[in-house]
Amino acid sequence: SSQLSSLPLQILFYVNGIYYIFYFLATLAMIVYKSQVFSYPDDFLAPDLAVLFLMAILEVPRLYLGCKGNLTEEEAPLGLSLGITVGSVVLCVYLLAWQTYVLWADVVLNAVLLCAYGLESGLKVTVIAAFVS
Amino acid sequence: PTDTRGAAQQRARSAPAPVTDVTRLCVCDLLVAQCDPNCCCDPDCSPEDFGLFTSCSGPVVVGDSNLCRQKAAVYSLDVEANPPERIFQLIDQVNPSIFCIHAVNYKQALHLKAPEMPSAANFDRLLREFGGAAFSAEPQEWREDTETPNPPGAKENHTYEFGAPVQTEDAFLRLPSPVVSSWCSDANPAGFLVSQATKCIRSVSVEKCESIPGLSMLFYINSSILAVPKSSQRVNVTVQSIVVQSLEGGRTLLEGSDILRLPVASGELCSNVVLGVSYHITYTDTGEIVEAAAAFVLGTITKEALSVQQSFQISFTQVDTKPVPLSGSPGYVVGLPVRAGFRPQGYPFTSGIIESSNKHSQLSILQSSPSQDCLAAQGPRAPVLFGHNMISGCKLRITAALKCQPLAQTLLDVLKGQSFPEYVASFGNSQAQDVLDWVPITHLQLSEQRLSNPLQGSCQIPVSLGIEVKWTKYGSLVNPQARIVNVTATLSTTTLKQLPSGRERIIPVTSSVVFTDISSPAEPGYKAWPTINLKLPFDFFYPFV
Repeated sequence: SSQLSSLPLQILFYVNGIYYIFYFLATLAMIVYKSQVFSYPDDFLAPDLAVLFLMAILEVPRLYLGCKGNLTEEEAPLGLSLGITVGSVVLCVYLLAWQTYVLWADVVLNAVLLCAYGLESGLKVTVIAAFVS
Repeated sequence: PTDTRGAAQQRARSAPAPVTDVTRLCVCDLLVAQCDPNCCCDPDCSPEDFGLFTSCSGPVVVGDSNLCRQKAAVYSLDVEANPPERIFQLIDQVNPSIFCIHAVNYKQALHLKAPEMPSAANFDRLLREFGGAAFSAEPQEWREDTETPNPPGAKENHTYEFGAPVQTEDAFLRLPSPVVSSWCSDANPAGFLVSQATKCIRSVSVEKCESIPGLSMLFYINSSILAVPKSSQRVNVTVQSIVVQSLEGGRTLLEGSDILRLPVASGELCSNVVLGVSYHITYTDTGEIVEAAAAFVLGTITKEALSVQQSFQISFTQVDTKPVPLSGSPGYVVGLPVRAGFRPQGYPFTSGIIESSNKHSQLSILQSSPSQDCLAAQGPRAPVLFGHNMISGCKLRITAALKCQPLAQTLLDVLKGQSFPEYVASFGNSQAQDVLDWVPITHLQLSEQRLSNPLQGSCQIPVSLGIEVKWTKYGSLVNPQARIVNVTATLSTTTLKQLPSGRERIIPVTSSVVFTDISSPAEPGYKAWPTINLKLPFDFFYPFV
């Protein structure tokens, strides 16, 4: 079989998309909860919300480019997607460790997302290597 | 040295740093260098003190309970050991909730904010922010509330409300009354529809009697009354009547009361001094004043008089109605006479109750006289006033010469009076034609029978009349009205024993009125919500049904 597209990577993209929607809504709801229950001044709330929305904006091209690159067996979109993934990983680490209030649920959600990113990055590198050679 | 002084000053200005170590925090340690009783975390307590404790107040010291993991200091008392020992444990408290705080990157989140210490630099700003008579979160709103553009009593559509001061051209209609002491204060305004009667003392002197304003008629009728508040319609105060009181106290009504009689000082007397004013204000049902009249009592004062007592009165009547003195509207007012009357006999469907024209003599009891002799000529009887329990009596001297039957009749007249009524009005404003609003008086007779001498001719004479009026609170919970439910007149009689001649006995004869409140405790309740009862007409589905 001369099919170089990776099925596990495609499955991972699909699952990642669904999980990310759930992750975004859950994190937004928890930020609202924190702002009501705890003391959350505006100049601490603004960066946290900005990071969350920036991550959501980055997620869309990341997944699209990844899918496109994998299915058309081109390494350029995949490479671009890998670059965006690095940015998403940084933002995810911010929400995991440097948020104003890190709840236990935050830790769990972000850890799962980080695992997914790590797995995707590994698979992308493998697939790019397969396409280039 | 200057550096350290500056640093020390800086330290003194800032608040002390908050203590967050749970091992050093103790909430119940209130006394310094002394052991607080039942405080297990107090460092000033020795093991002997712990032996005397019964329990630990404040057993656990933790930080914010929202944290996932934190250190907690647990203090407990081991009562099994002898003497009891204090046990201190430092444990890790775990919050199992999924929303527990794992990490906080905002240091001041879990502590109270340290207040800003005033210094030369920030004092003005702090004063602007927090200074003021009232320390409130929204100082702007407070300042706006204190400005009230409308004085009380003036509505948008400009009519007088109950209790609002009656306004005149210059200020208010004055009804001088005693304030704090018995001296007249001219600054008391008359309230609309508030009938008042006041008496006060004014200091006078014959030399200055023409110049004291409160003694001249002009002072009371000078300024005209405004028909409605803040309007230009004026109502002049007319002089209804002038009664002149002589020095001995005799009063004469003057004919032709149009002329204004001002105080005149002549030698040792000053005449035409105002001793009493009675205002009669006529109003419409929309709250407008249409007429005002004043009746004066003028008198004369002598040189020796240093003060004179003046009495003032104001009453309000609605236009086109005759003022009827009621005893309450609708419920009885405490202190007003109980209304009572007769029903003419022989007519099964009578037109109504007949009342005596003198309100104070409709229901009355015996009034004790100085001589206290029941058989003496009777003086006036005391009217029964609602809410006022009364007891009165006289003494009856029984001699051998007295005959029983005439004596019984005389005593009955003494106790009951010439016309004892049959019906009592249940409300203060019961109309004579509403017979059902009147309560019949129940008569009871208690006779003291001496069973020991049945053969002796028994002759009963009444010795006591007790009127018991049972009333209840009627109407709304907020404004209950007094309503008479039951009136019982109990006549007690006793046997008159024949006395040997020459001896005499004195028996007390009493009459009393008691008002009893029999109202059941009220329960507040709400009316049911109105329901919408929608029903289609009978033939709505005509062709099909």
